[in-house]
Amino acid sequence: MWDTFIVIPMTNTLLYIYSFLGQLFGTEHMFGIAIILFTILIRGITWPLTTKQLKGTQAMQELQQDKEWQAIQKKHKDNKEKLAQEQMRIYKERGISPFSSCLPTLIQFPVIIGLYQSIIRALASTPLSLLKLTRSIYPFLDISSIIPLNSHFLWMDLSRPENVKLLGYSIPTLAIIVVITSYIQSKLTMPANTSNPGDQGAAMGNMMSIYMPFLMGYFALTFASGLSIYFVTSNLLGILQYAMMGRANWQNLLPGKKS
Amino acid sequence: MKVKHSILILMAVLLSVLLSGCSGAAMRSNSWAGLTADESTAYLANGSFVYAVNLGNGSEAWRYPAEDADSKLSFFAAPALTTDGQLIIGSAGSNHSLISLDPKNGSENWRFSGAEDRWIASPLVTEDAIYAPNADGTLYVLSLDGSPLWTMSIGGTLWGQPVSDGDLVYLTSLDHHLYAIDPQNHDAPVWDVALKGAIPGAATLGPDGILYLGSFGAELEAVNSSTRKIVWNTVTDGWIWDAPALDGETLYFGDLNGYFYSIDATNGSLNWDPIQPDGPIVGSPLVMPEAIAIATESGSVYAIDRDGRIVWKQTIGGKLYGNPVLAGDLILVSPMEAGFVLAALDTDGKQVWTFTPAK
Repeated sequence: MWDTFIVIPMTNTLLYIYSFLGQLFGTEHMFGIAIILFTILIRGITWPLTTKQLKGTQAMQELQQDKEWQAIQKKHKDNKEKLAQEQMRIYKERGISPFSSCLPTLIQFPVIIGLYQSIIRALASTPLSLLKLTRSIYPFLDISSIIPLNSHFLWMDLSRPENVKLLGYSIPTLAIIVVITSYIQSKLTMPANTSNPGDQGAAMGNMMSIYMPFLMGYFALTFASGLSIYFVTSNLLGILQYAMMGRANWQNLLPGKKS
Repeated sequence: MKVKHSILILMAVLLSVLLSGCSGAAMRSNSWAGLTADESTAYLANGSFVYAVNLGNGSEAWRYPAEDADSKLSFFAAPALTTDGQLIIGSAGSNHSLISLDPKNGSENWRFSGAEDRWIASPLVTEDAIYAPNADGTLYVLSLDGSPLWTMSIGGTLWGQPVSDGDLVYLTSLDHHLYAIDPQNHDAPVWDVALKGAIPGAATLGPDGILYLGSFGAELEAVNSSTRKIVWNTVTDGWIWDAPALDGETLYFGDLNGYFYSIDATNGSLNWDPIQPDGPIVGSPLVMPEAIAIATESGSVYAIDRDGRIVWKQTIGGKLYGNPVLAGDLILVSPMEAGFVLAALDTDGKQVWTFTPAK
């Protein structure tokens, strides 16, 4: 089921893009380009969902600053049941869905897992995985001539974790880029004003903006660098999307500065 | 808010676990076992261990590593026996080791760790050198004591065992090429020929200097090593994984669509219409005096006579990908996903014993 509906379609899409690019420009570096184009495709498909997420996040953030909501919190601080009822009422009145901001993020997870499996399958580094790949190809794709895939992209082997040897040390440059772009993306989406000291949501947001980039960095450090290409591209597109929507808080990137 | 972030953290942890699972599987290099045998022992490279199995009763003689599995080692290239009594085995694990073992007890003689990728191919062993192709696209040549002699960057990914006519060494690559290497000239291949598709298996060298190769181009091709030209090609129904078996002037091989072929090695013409047993054929056939044995992905071993008639069929179970190996009067096969990792049949197809490693 997972294979049929997620991994095989993703693998074929990647192979199709790679094959198309290979015919035009040769196969060198093209698997990396295929991952980038595939990521753009995925971000394009999930663009409306991401927009909804951003709007939902914004609405939740605005609610935290809302005078009426703060008064309700104060009034019912000892009655959690009543507070929950009031919260639901306000959500309903203002058309806020508490999980609308969560859903697109959740959708990312199967995409990440599926993409990782697709990259590993397409690069087929063992006989069994190559045999599996031969069974994963749709009949209309004539790719016998491009197997095996060229896994080199710039200085990287996309089937392995990346690092650059510098002065005798291995520097995981791509993992560092993943951490930086993930941090920038999460910082840009944080609320402009988190002056409410009791705002637990903002505190959690702050924690997530530290925690998630390092988690992504750990993935980049540990897994095939093709996945890191996806992370970086996806982060950059996310930043672009926030900027285009006019919701990016660039001042959050400056230490100690809050708008 | 709290619930949302808790879900996110939970999902992130779940993702981490799932990806670790995927990565672990990839790092463990799962594939089918490699099998070699001498007159008394079968040597099975099967994942974390190399097993020596007594042919008389199917009992374990030794295993390498002797105790706990080493997470950096993973074996599935068929071990190669040298004339001076070594067993050479490449690891597809993360430390990319080529290891020499003592076939009597499995103790390690030496280890070469200079390659950059996995050892998928079995090495070619001559009287004075080991020619070991690596997935990093380099041919590593070592002396029999494990000292590096020279290397040659070939290109592509090298999975096929080299063959030699005593003068040149011939090497297949997944980059669709057959390469000829002169051991006296280490600069570059002396010549190469482009074939129709990727070549995951080895070439078969005939006594007249013709090399026979199957590929993912769905063709069996014959290359004259003197003229460096393709002399004929035979189109097949499916992709060909491994080398054809040469029996006099006849070639036998199977394809991934499950067809079994017999063709005339002199011109590539079909001797009879291909037959279709019960599943894809990945490994090379085994030529026996009375029949040709093949193993199918469906877990069956077939003996087929030289006229294309099925003599017997034995269901082993699991999936059979590797080559059947003849050891004395036993046919050895190593199934994946069966309750055992090695089975011995007699030449009439009756199962003699199976081997399951003790935990």
